[in-house]
Amino acid sequence: MTTAEAARRDERVARVSPVRRVLVRPELGSVVGAIVVFAFFAAQSPVFWSVSGVSNWLDPASTLGIMAVAIALLMIGGEFDLSAGVLTGSTGLILVTLATRYGLDVWSAMAAGLVFALAVGFLNGLLVVRTRLPSFIVTLGTFLMLQGLNLGVTKLLTGTVQVGGLRQAPGYEGARQVFAASVPLAGGDFRVAIVWWLAVTALATWVLMRTRAGNWIFAVGGNEQAARAVGVPAARVKVGLFMTTAAAAWLVGTITALRFSSVQANAGIGQEFTFIIAAVIGGCLLTGGYGSAIGASIGALIFGMADKGIVFAGWDADWFTFFLGAMLLLATLTNSLVRRYAEEVRR
Amino acid sequence: MPLLRMRGITKRFPGVRALDGVDLEVEAGEVHCLLGQNGAGKSTLIKVLSGVHQPDEGEVRFGGEPVRLAGPTAAMRLGIATIYQELDLVDGLSVAENVFLGHERASYGFVRRREAARAAGELLARLGHPEIPPNRLVERLSPAGKQVVSMARALSHDARLIIMDEPSAALAHDEVANLFRLVRELTSAGVAVIYISHRLEEIREIGDRVTVLKDGRTVAVGLPAATTPTPEIVRLMTGRSVEYVFPPRRPRPAVPEAGGRDPEADGLGTEILRVEGLTVPGEFADVSFSVRAGEIVGLAGLVGSGRTEILETVYGLRRPSAGRVLLDGRPVRPGSAARAVRLGMGLAPEERKSQALLLEDSLADNITLAGLPRYSRLGWLDRRRALADAAEQIAALDVRPADARRPVKTLSGGNQQKAVLARWLINGRRLLLLDEPTRGVDVGARAELYALIRRLADAGLGVLLVSSEVPEVLGLADRVLVVREGRVIHQADARDLDEHRVLDMIMEGSLS
Ligand SMILES: Nc1ncnc2c1ncn2[C@@H]1O[C@H](COP(=O)(O)OP(=O)(O)OP(=O)(O)O)[C@@H](O)[C@H]1O
Ligand SMILES: [Mg+2]
Repeated sequence: MTTAEAARRDERVARVSPVRRVLVRPELGSVVGAIVVFAFFAAQSPVFWSVSGVSNWLDPASTLGIMAVAIALLMIGGEFDLSAGVLTGSTGLILVTLATRYGLDVWSAMAAGLVFALAVGFLNGLLVVRTRLPSFIVTLGTFLMLQGLNLGVTKLLTGTVQVGGLRQAPGYEGARQVFAASVPLAGGDFRVAIVWWLAVTALATWVLMRTRAGNWIFAVGGNEQAARAVGVPAARVKVGLFMTTAAAAWLVGTITALRFSSVQANAGIGQEFTFIIAAVIGGCLLTGGYGSAIGASIGALIFGMADKGIVFAGWDADWFTFFLGAMLLLATLTNSLVRRYAEEVRR
Repeated sequence: MPLLRMRGITKRFPGVRALDGVDLEVEAGEVHCLLGQNGAGKSTLIKVLSGVHQPDEGEVRFGGEPVRLAGPTAAMRLGIATIYQELDLVDGLSVAENVFLGHERASYGFVRRREAARAAGELLARLGHPEIPPNRLVERLSPAGKQVVSMARALSHDARLIIMDEPSAALAHDEVANLFRLVRELTSAGVAVIYISHRLEEIREIGDRVTVLKDGRTVAVGLPAATTPTPEIVRLMTGRSVEYVFPPRRPRPAVPEAGGRDPEADGLGTEILRVEGLTVPGEFADVSFSVRAGEIVGLAGLVGSGRTEILETVYGLRRPSAGRVLLDGRPVRPGSAARAVRLGMGLAPEERKSQALLLEDSLADNITLAGLPRYSRLGWLDRRRALADAAEQIAALDVRPADARRPVKTLSGGNQQKAVLARWLINGRRLLLLDEPTRGVDVGARAELYALIRRLADAGLGVLLVSSEVPEVLGLADRVLVVREGRVIHQADARDLDEHRVLDMIMEGSLS
């Protein structure tokens, strides 16, 4: 600071070093976490980092990742969705029920599931926007309703708590190829869902970073009042985000139903917080306006690695949640420490 | 035919009638000033005009046509752009993204980032701030920087009418000149400007005509800004005549400042605050001064010269790399504002919305927040007593509406500022740190605030005051420290300084 000019410059803006630019990325914590988890399990068992091992843990990561990315978008937009997990079950149940008991071919049954999911998402969004109730409460309501519906209807129709037999339905094989096939590659067995996961992540990242809609998502989550005052259609953005989450739930529900050919009536329940945890590990703030789709994907990857890694290491699966908790703390702590550091060296 | 004609605009909020039949006429190419006390309804009126609020009654004509301003987009499409009073930007977006938020430069939904950055850069350059990088996140800008971004956003609309709600409140002296240059540029191109400010000198300098609001009604329309006498304007605004003067100081010490004087000979009390060689790297260096009981010490300087940082460090919010702070001879532990409060300090920060207020909570809760220990008995809060104390301060500072249970976010800007001050007045403080205490406060209340601050000093408090308005520092303070680029370049009795000299010093550092 030698001249008044320089003083003024320092006041408003600061030079940014490339290092700091990397450090303040929201994904940082999740990347650190992923490296730690990978190194840890790789040291436990060589199978973990063999091709077949990798294909093994990419599998749970993929379906979780699709949901985590959608939830991350929603959280950046300042909202939660607790009904997303049970909705994966609902859409699967609809698919199997319509295709096995009502003679629809698999593709039409899938379309029906999508319509249902979008309707639920629309309703969630509309309720949140119109009533201004916290989305946590609104979607907790839909969550409980769907849970009851899934069980009630399934029992009513089948007398049991599951529906199955999708394999015999017309159009099954084609749909399975698209959504649930597995591709043998270099000794591993890779699920096609991984491709869907990567595609969803890429699409979401692109929307966030490069499109008008992406700007609006950050804006309504960061400062809704300001966004509204400059003409951002905040209500439409939010409803759209809830519908996006619902569509992701449909995709995941469809993938799992086609893969196993049957669906339990309680499928997806308990997953809702997993999605949020993955998004938070990936750098999303609970307060909205900040986060990343890639980060959420890496959060899901950590889940996948811990889930299978524990099996490879020959431990009891009960350790899984312990790991998750530790990862959640590690990633969020890294994020906040580094951010604070970056703030301090700013001038 | 006027560009804008508003007739009989009425707007009710639950429990208040913010606007009660307001008329406003604005011609193309003029600077129309909107004056009124805190809570008079100025911001509400312009929010009606920019489509944020829907009026309950009344008619708006723009360019001769009756229009319905159903939302912000409708207003912008007509060519009405607004710079809002409370800095309303999205922290997580970049400068360019904020400038074009809601009207992004996009093709098929895809933002043309490079083009947006370039266009934002041009607007910033036009505003005299080419140094703000369009890709920087807005959260990394200072309040003044954010203000510039808000202005760039208004300019980005090619508007026919630009509304500025207290644009100068966050700006330093030289930047106000910059703003005025821009306003003149706009009006000579035929753009109309509605200008709101509590600084009457500004109205004189930049305004063409004046409309005065009082309690949600129009009390004067289209007065000539240059020739209407100030007392007349103040009387219209407040309904009474206010002496726009500073309260008297104690008499000057008999013995002029010299070595070996008796510390109490000049009528001031003991030393309350002592700052020795305080340094925060990159912010300020080697700052030493003291504040004595009964004394008001003013820090004059440009926005960004380090004054706010000095206050924050004294208060324990920042850790100095060298030097120390003593309150009543006891060292203040750096990094602990709680201890500073326990020792008897109170800080009224510059950005009230983000730093001082709990917006959703009631006025009473906000006022009594720092005094909570006073009201708790064995863990229970004595709410009735807290409410009574709050009500007393509300009356003393003339906060409007005088309703202790109202959420702070529904108060007008100036009244929010009063709430911040009231907080520190209810429990005995030794030292008050005031950062821009009159920002957004109207003339009437300003005079009351000055008197109040002086009364507090006379009662034995020490006051450390930061203000970007040099006349305010000179009029209110006993002693003035001139700060430039993080250094105290001059210290003097306020009565030995005049405005021009101080301005010279803070801009050029001619005495350093
Ligand atoms: N959203 C709201 N809900 C309830 N009351 C409100 C709301 N917004 C404003 N008011 C009230 O309307 C009145 C006018 O407020 P407004 O903000 O227009 O004042 P102002 O003239 O801009 O004052 P200032 O100079 O302090 O900014 C005030 O009494 C205020 O408390
Ligand atoms: Mg206002």
